[in-house]
Amino acid sequence: MTDVIEGAAETEVLVPSIDDAPHPAGSGAWRHRHLLDVDGLSIDDLELVMRTADSMREVLARPIAKVPALRGRNVTILFYEASTRTRVSFEVAAKNLSAEVVNIAAATSSVTKGESLVDTVRTVEALGAQMLVMRHSVSGAPYLAAEVFGGSVLNGGDGWHAHPTQALLDLYTMRSRLGSVAGRKVAILGDVLHSRVARSNIWTLTAAGADLWLCGPPTLLRGFEAWAGRGAAAGRRFHVTASIDEALRDADVVMALRIQKERMASGLLPSLREYAARYGLTATRLATAKPDALVMHPGPMNEGVEIAPDVAAGVQSVITDQVTNGVAIRMALLYLLAGVTAA
Amino acid sequence: MTDLDLSRVWLVDPAAGREGPGELVVVDGVLEAVTWLEGSDADGIDDRGVVVAPGFIDLHTHLREPGNEDAETIETGLAAAAHGGFTTVCAMPNTTPTLDEPGVLAAMRGAAAASGSPVEFLAHGAVTVGRAGETLAALGELADAGVVGFSDDGAPVRSASILRSALAYAGALGVPVVDHPEDASQTDGAEANDGFVSTVLGLHGWPAAAEESAVARDLAILGEVCRDVPGVRLHLTHLSTAGSLELVRRAKAAGLPLTCDITPHHLALTDEWLAGARRFAWDAGPDADPWRDQAIVAAPYASSLRVNPPLRTPADALACLESLADGTVDAIATDHAPHTKVDKAVEFGLAANGISGIETALGLVVAAVDAGQLSLSRAMEALTVGPARLLDRSRRGARPGLVEGEPADLVVFDRSDGWTVEADRLLSKGKHSPLLGMRLGGKVLLTMAAGRVAYEAPLD
Repeated sequence: MTDVIEGAAETEVLVPSIDDAPHPAGSGAWRHRHLLDVDGLSIDDLELVMRTADSMREVLARPIAKVPALRGRNVTILFYEASTRTRVSFEVAAKNLSAEVVNIAAATSSVTKGESLVDTVRTVEALGAQMLVMRHSVSGAPYLAAEVFGGSVLNGGDGWHAHPTQALLDLYTMRSRLGSVAGRKVAILGDVLHSRVARSNIWTLTAAGADLWLCGPPTLLRGFEAWAGRGAAAGRRFHVTASIDEALRDADVVMALRIQKERMASGLLPSLREYAARYGLTATRLATAKPDALVMHPGPMNEGVEIAPDVAAGVQSVITDQVTNGVAIRMALLYLLAGVTAA
Repeated sequence: MTDLDLSRVWLVDPAAGREGPGELVVVDGVLEAVTWLEGSDADGIDDRGVVVAPGFIDLHTHLREPGNEDAETIETGLAAAAHGGFTTVCAMPNTTPTLDEPGVLAAMRGAAAASGSPVEFLAHGAVTVGRAGETLAALGELADAGVVGFSDDGAPVRSASILRSALAYAGALGVPVVDHPEDASQTDGAEANDGFVSTVLGLHGWPAAAEESAVARDLAILGEVCRDVPGVRLHLTHLSTAGSLELVRRAKAAGLPLTCDITPHHLALTDEWLAGARRFAWDAGPDADPWRDQAIVAAPYASSLRVNPPLRTPADALACLESLADGTVDAIATDHAPHTKVDKAVEFGLAANGISGIETALGLVVAAVDAGQLSLSRAMEALTVGPARLLDRSRRGARPGLVEGEPADLVVFDRSDGWTVEADRLLSKGKHSPLLGMRLGGKVLLTMAAGRVAYEAPLD
């Protein structure tokens, strides 16, 4: 991992001191009020997030992993879909920055009484929310929230569309281990069609110059061949294949995606057994990748289906790194977005 | 007070197949004189200024009354129609209760009369009871009561055997069946045209094949039924894909008794708009990539763009325009579908399908004409005599045209002037236009129906 002080000295990108309190208004080069998608992030934006996350990793290594950067700020976490890992990660990140955290699980709120998203967002704002972390099962929902919310909206995952913090923590994890992802072969395996993780990784990994391969049964790759074709024309090249052998061959990174039981009911797959046999990431298959290839998974895992337990827990696995880095990335983003609204 | 004297304007009379400089006089609501100017009298008058055409006819309008008066009433819908230049609307029967028996039609007509609007109110009756797709509605009684077509719009006639019966039965009544072609097994949960944009945005794909396979089914059945029953007519509404139009082109060439319409939004807007692009189909081109082209200027997922059938690719929209030009498409119909804010100001995937479009239809058509994608005369034809052919004897006026001695039924609009689409300026209760904030050309100055003023632009 690059040393944060040297890194900051080498580049125009200024990483503000996170030990200052309160937040230094308008610091850094970050311009985005919301984080709704990764498609609008420039290379400089990605670099700034990575460097800020380096600083946050440093904070996390301290005996008391807490800085006052967001003291007095209200971060409201509004999740319309079940999640443990992402919700807790955002909560820990916000608390590490000394923010006040309000958690709303939609199942226990007035949403179940039929309140609209617009009304809910206005209500949480009236209750003091300044930053809103949101997860929703409908693609694009955070854009509607951003339209009515006075502060910053952070997308914690929307439908099949985007999971910006996941893609950024994935990129951060890869860079931490590999230095750079430029020219590195990254294979993403599984249910690409329904995956916001895969979609967001397409934007960040192609921007970072990775040799990206998406692989799964053809029914779960629907539409991505066309995207790859357009992407090639736009300098955002990636590959799509139903052959797991082709995807894994000499890969530097292998990421397995969660497969959901609903896919069988909707006629996209014959059975989980067949999926595991043909597309499961086993030790034998992993051996066809580079010897030190990284194994990743955005969680939660179905061990024995998309990934074998010994691979998930094996020496090549960086799955727990992803979790730790997730906190650092979310701290970095909360910090950067807070700088925009404080300006 | 219904006198009008228009000099030095551009007249378009699709029924007579004529357009050119002229003058027009209305006295006491009656079109007294239509004068075509020639020679030096015509100097300086072109089709880029004030245009006078017969009043437009909309084959496909949702007026929501009875049952959902919060979304639209017959009164507000007819006012919106007049603002759009329409003097005849054909209401769809997906009301509550469904227009599947004559009593409902009588109530709707009562509301139309009570509104005081001179816009002619016509209606399609349902094909099946409750539009449930199971048993035939009271087709004969509805025909006697004066419905102009039979449609389960909002949904296709699901059962192929019911469609076969309906075509035959309606054929004998001299009434067309108006089908909304959609194979529902391919569109369960669908949100956006299945393609590049839906893949990137993570929206459930709505395949072109879902429409095309339904069109193919309908045409196969029509081909058989029309051999046995003279008078059978099928009208396919809101076709949206290049493939559907190609199927219609071939079926028409084979002589099937078939007509079809497209909407203004399917000929001008595309699925790129869902990503936040705001350029017309002809400016996008068939290889459009709004991300690469840096064409994204608005927030993505605007629920105003959620519509059935979905906005398609630029190539499909261009096929709509081409099919309009070559006569494959008979009519432009608005599929005006007003909804309440409660149903529309929500997440894209939860929003009701439909665009409030009767007031912006002319603006989109004029945009295509301005861009050289469509001739003015063909555009006017598709808004007047095209739809009139489907209605023939059901309509009040014998035929749309600038006919001396008849009550004035016309629209006056200015191609040199435009208007900005704003919620307050829409007379429909449905304010969910995807064009809000945009400037459209072809501002309607005056609409006259049955010799009376239906809409008059306020003085700015």
